[in-house]
Amino acid sequence: MMTDATRRDFLKIAVLAPLMPALMAACRRADTRRVVNFYNWSNYIGKDTLPEFTRRAGVSVRYDLFADEEEMFAKIRAGARGYDLVVIGDYLIPRFKSLNLIDAVPSGTLKNMGNLAPRFRRPSYDPDETTIPYLWGTTGIAYNRRKLAKQPSSWWDLWDPKYKDRISMLDNVRDCVAVAMQLLRIPQTTRDPEDFRKVRELLLRQKPLVRQYSSSSYLNSLVAGEIDLAMTWSGDLFQAARDNPDLDYVLPKEGTYMWVDCLAMLRGSRHREDTLRLIDYLLEPEVAGSISNSVRYATPNAKAFPLVEKALRRDPRVYPTPQTMGQLQLHHILDPEQSEMWNQVWADVKVS
Amino acid sequence: MDRALSWLLGGRRPLASHLLLAPAAAWMIVFLVLPAAGLLLLSLAKNGPYGEILWTLSLNNYRRAFDPKYLPVLLRTLGFAGGTTLLTLLLGYPLAYFLSFRAGRWRNAMLIGLMVPFWTSALVAFYSWMIILGKEGLLNAALLRFGFISAPISILYTSFSVLLGLVYFYLPFMVLPLYGSLEKIPRQYVEAAYDLGADRWTAFRKVTLPLSLPGVIAGSLLTFVPCLGDFLTAEILGGPRYYLLGNLISNQFLMAQDWPFGAALTCLLLTCLVGGLWLYRRWDDQA
Repeated sequence: MMTDATRRDFLKIAVLAPLMPALMAACRRADTRRVVNFYNWSNYIGKDTLPEFTRRAGVSVRYDLFADEEEMFAKIRAGARGYDLVVIGDYLIPRFKSLNLIDAVPSGTLKNMGNLAPRFRRPSYDPDETTIPYLWGTTGIAYNRRKLAKQPSSWWDLWDPKYKDRISMLDNVRDCVAVAMQLLRIPQTTRDPEDFRKVRELLLRQKPLVRQYSSSSYLNSLVAGEIDLAMTWSGDLFQAARDNPDLDYVLPKEGTYMWVDCLAMLRGSRHREDTLRLIDYLLEPEVAGSISNSVRYATPNAKAFPLVEKALRRDPRVYPTPQTMGQLQLHHILDPEQSEMWNQVWADVKVS
Repeated sequence: MDRALSWLLGGRRPLASHLLLAPAAAWMIVFLVLPAAGLLLLSLAKNGPYGEILWTLSLNNYRRAFDPKYLPVLLRTLGFAGGTTLLTLLLGYPLAYFLSFRAGRWRNAMLIGLMVPFWTSALVAFYSWMIILGKEGLLNAALLRFGFISAPISILYTSFSVLLGLVYFYLPFMVLPLYGSLEKIPRQYVEAAYDLGADRWTAFRKVTLPLSLPGVIAGSLLTFVPCLGDFLTAEILGGPRYYLLGNLISNQFLMAQDWPFGAALTCLLLTCLVGGLWLYRRWDDQA
């Protein structure tokens, strides 16, 4: 008898529980303060960029950082609705679009849209200009000049048993699988399981040599001398080289990938006007130039180019010569099925 | 007021006192029962393009979880969890013994000393360990300075650094239950053993140790169980070769965008843990 009554009481309480969300919603107030919530890569903006914007426009910026694109994507897909502006890589744009996560930036209303170099207008990954190019760079090899007898020149150097336990690879399916495909001369358009088996084999062969799969903390390891050779993104390494001048960057002779990170406006943003104002501000030549100087990535902003430090502007590894430019390719846009195959290979490599 | 309180606390209507359960029950339902049910449902779903969740229910994710390629991950996780439990027991038992029998007026200070590292965020603690264990870190510098080694050795990103991180973090989980059960042993029992002619070792072996067993088991469970799901330690202090079950699960949610599979793995882990605890309780009740 007693247990039955207990259970009934318990049920009464259980009925009340679902009322909680309604109660919480009632507590939520409309957000009226002028603010833009900006979600960006770590170390990917100038020190004064945002304070200057706040000073000029009277809009404060809540700035949040991520160190991994897939994680950022997972967070936004899971419903992190708080953000207004986010930086996403070119290859992610179709994914964001197909899941209806972003709103098109009305590029016609931006004063400074014309500052962008023509080759970054209506790109293959975003032909209708839903997003605005922010910075671009390359994936290449970082190495420690003092610790390596010979300058690396090829992706194969990252597979050299001589460097066992001194190598780090980006913890990123796009870059690792793409490089393996490039070395095997497999086109990124493939859906042949046999090709993916070969890619898996090549990456697994490398795994015993790899000390870290990491997309951000490996930079500290490079500076500290924990590792001497790493797959890296250009500007990240140039930033790290400020702390350790022995670090240097090479574009592998096989050619490599370039990518463009873009500003995207998240669907459901409650601060559209001010978000657009911030995007327009980031497109100003002085602003874009000073960001490029500070993060050491190339700017797609043609008007900003003359304002970039001479050393950076003349560095063919940052602004490649037309000839190397020909060797750089954008990542192929994968359809969901291919994307699944890439992820599967990468998951198998990580797990084994 | 008094009448209302006494009504609430039972008195003539004992059922009313169940209302006291309401806040905790609501909490458990909203933050445990509902999410667990959601997780179970999610584990039956299908992973669609770009990680969309398709609600065509099947047991497919569970079938995938038994793929032999995950066996090394499972064994590695069991190894690290078991090793951590054993090491924390070996380190923690003497410590707890000292705390309850020998520490005297230093006891409280020592207990606080034990808890302080536990109050720091694990993230901060592990990053500090990185600074200590690195190739150009404090430990290598010290070893070089005193001539134990001639060139820096790899300490970070080895099984040693993972184990060290786990033992460091879980030691209080072991020591506190041990201390609790040692503290409860009536000192007269030990004295009685001495009076009956037992030496210190025999008294410990025949009286103290058996009476502290509940603490040993509780401490081991509190260490072993969370260790099975730990991913932060391996993520920060382990290299690519120390991929544990926790990393496998967190990667399904963060990297592979395969939430249903991650949910299935989580459900399996939870089932094993709850099942294990239930068996332990049954054994404990009978004993």
